[in-house]
Amino acid sequence: MSSARLTRILQSASFRLPLLYAVLFVLSAGVLFATVYWTATAAMQNDMSAVLRSEAFQLAEAHRRSNLAGLAEQITRRMNFRTRGPIYYLLQAPNRRVVVGNLPGMPPVNGVVDFVPQPETPEPETERSRLTGFGITLADGSFLLVAQDSTRLVDMQRAIIRAFVWSSGLGLFLAIAGGALLGNSFLRRIDTITRTSRAIMEGDLSARIPVRGTHDEIDQLVSSLNAMLARIQQLMDGLRQVSSDIAHDLRTPLGRLRQQLEDARDRAVTTADYEAATDAAIEEADSLLETFSALLRIAQVEAGTQTSGFALFDLSSLMKDLGETYEPVAEDSEHLLDVRVEDGVMLTGDRQLLAQLLSNLLENAFHHTPAGTRVSLGLRRAEGGIVIDVADNGPGIPPAEHDKVFDRFYRLDRSRSTTGSGLGLAMVKHIVEGQSARIFRG
Amino acid sequence: MKILLVEDDKQTAEYITKGLREHGHVVDHADNGRDGLYLATGEKYDVLIVDRMLPTMDGLSLVKAARDAGMRAPVLFLTTMAGVDDRVAGLEAGGDDYLTKPFAFAELRARVGALSRRPPIVAATSLGVGDLEMDLLARTVTRSGKRIELLAQEFKILEYLLRHAGEVVTRTMLLEKVWDFHFDPKTNIVETHISRLRSKIDRGFEKPLLHTVRGAGYVVRSSD
Repeated sequence: MSSARLTRILQSASFRLPLLYAVLFVLSAGVLFATVYWTATAAMQNDMSAVLRSEAFQLAEAHRRSNLAGLAEQITRRMNFRTRGPIYYLLQAPNRRVVVGNLPGMPPVNGVVDFVPQPETPEPETERSRLTGFGITLADGSFLLVAQDSTRLVDMQRAIIRAFVWSSGLGLFLAIAGGALLGNSFLRRIDTITRTSRAIMEGDLSARIPVRGTHDEIDQLVSSLNAMLARIQQLMDGLRQVSSDIAHDLRTPLGRLRQQLEDARDRAVTTADYEAATDAAIEEADSLLETFSALLRIAQVEAGTQTSGFALFDLSSLMKDLGETYEPVAEDSEHLLDVRVEDGVMLTGDRQLLAQLLSNLLENAFHHTPAGTRVSLGLRRAEGGIVIDVADNGPGIPPAEHDKVFDRFYRLDRSRSTTGSGLGLAMVKHIVEGQSARIFRG
Repeated sequence: MKILLVEDDKQTAEYITKGLREHGHVVDHADNGRDGLYLATGEKYDVLIVDRMLPTMDGLSLVKAARDAGMRAPVLFLTTMAGVDDRVAGLEAGGDDYLTKPFAFAELRARVGALSRRPPIVAATSLGVGDLEMDLLARTVTRSGKRIELLAQEFKILEYLLRHAGEVVTRTMLLEKVWDFHFDPKTNIVETHISRLRSKIDRGFEKPLLHTVRGAGYVVRSSD
């Protein structure tokens, strides 16, 4: 692991978060241990001083009953036979002479006292150990001290501190190591995302970020990023397609326009010639403009910018109106138009676009089928939605070309001789996609 | 008529100005939004023709500001954008009609003509020209007292033509106002319906009322 990578891991969120938790854990453990420490110490100290006090008072009572000599005897006996309880005694005469005891002489202190016996203590085993004692100045001015080794207390305190240091140390270590591991794996995934986006920036639009399949947050993020990339690629492909379509398919009519103008300049003699040539040129220009606006409209529909035109409207009345509108058209082109529209079907969508879609389909039917063909326009409610159908009993579209007819500028061989831009069904397809509807070919 | 044209494209502006002046209109021209607003609020015009995209202040803001300042003249928006949203935005800003560029001059002239005639304060209950009469309440049409049966769409076309009697009404205007089609259908549905309408109201009568104006549209008038 390089130092740069280590730095990045240390900076990563998945490292910092566990670390923060570890620090919090250590802090709360510290509070807990401190409480235990003080409580246990206080309890032990209370216990010890209670024992010492009662021993000291018992001996003081003995002194009151007998005298200093009797007390000394008592203490000697206890020193010799007691194995439990206080094991250090000191009886000092008022002149500070040690009467009896296994502790060196000291200035009299009343009550609980913590002390370390002076080094000149005769008993070697008591060296340096801490003692807790209870001192009483007796009636005749002599001083009695009963003491106990408090090493056990210190040991306990040390054990608690050791436990604290070890457990929090281990906890911290685990947090740091775990955090580093997590941070590393997190970073590796982020690196993949970065690499993929670089690749995309460099032009590979098909690059996608691998999904782990763990369904965690990153996986979800990656999936939606991938979906976004797919959408962008689709739009880009569409754009590329449009530009090349335009380049290829507009050249022909533009060429024709140019030719007409050239022709007029070279050959027209009379005003009528010029008028005819100008009219032809205007007509050609108009059809070019129409193609452009159709392309623009497809692009708008495709980009989904038209959803703001969505509103609830009466589809039945729109379709009936369309039926009435195209009835004379059908009649003139010797087609039969059969309108079967259910009443009262409301739809939320773009009324304009649907009108255009249906017009396109009807016009296609009239335009590309022989006279006498029956064209039907139908609307009915069905399970899970509504069905709009525009059908004819004409020759139909060869199955091999079913998908292609929805491409821009695509035209069936047999319709090349007729007028049309080849954009009608492309428009239909994009409108249908924009209205969350589906096309079924029958 | 006194017309204000706010258009930044020199060639388009010249084309429109020249055409309108030839037809006897007085045209003031501003080539940016701020000057346009200054003129629109300072002078009195019969019609405003406003481009949507303008330097210093776009057409929508211009019309909104002028309307806020009490300007009541009808506004025709010129736009290169033909989306539904743009059309709605224009009408919401206080525009009365819109025209997508590029357009034929005849189309512009017809629209300006239609706009300049303010609708009557009281809604008419009947319309008519010559011996043709339309009863808007009973939805009936008679010519020389003879009842003419029209289909719903034919009635709507005739109603629109009668409301603009004597003025040229273009194919696109009919598509928009009668059919609410803001796109260009490939078949000549307007021609088809007009010819049906014509055969119903003019056939058998000496003087035709429904005339075709070549390269422009249709007009209903009693004398030719």
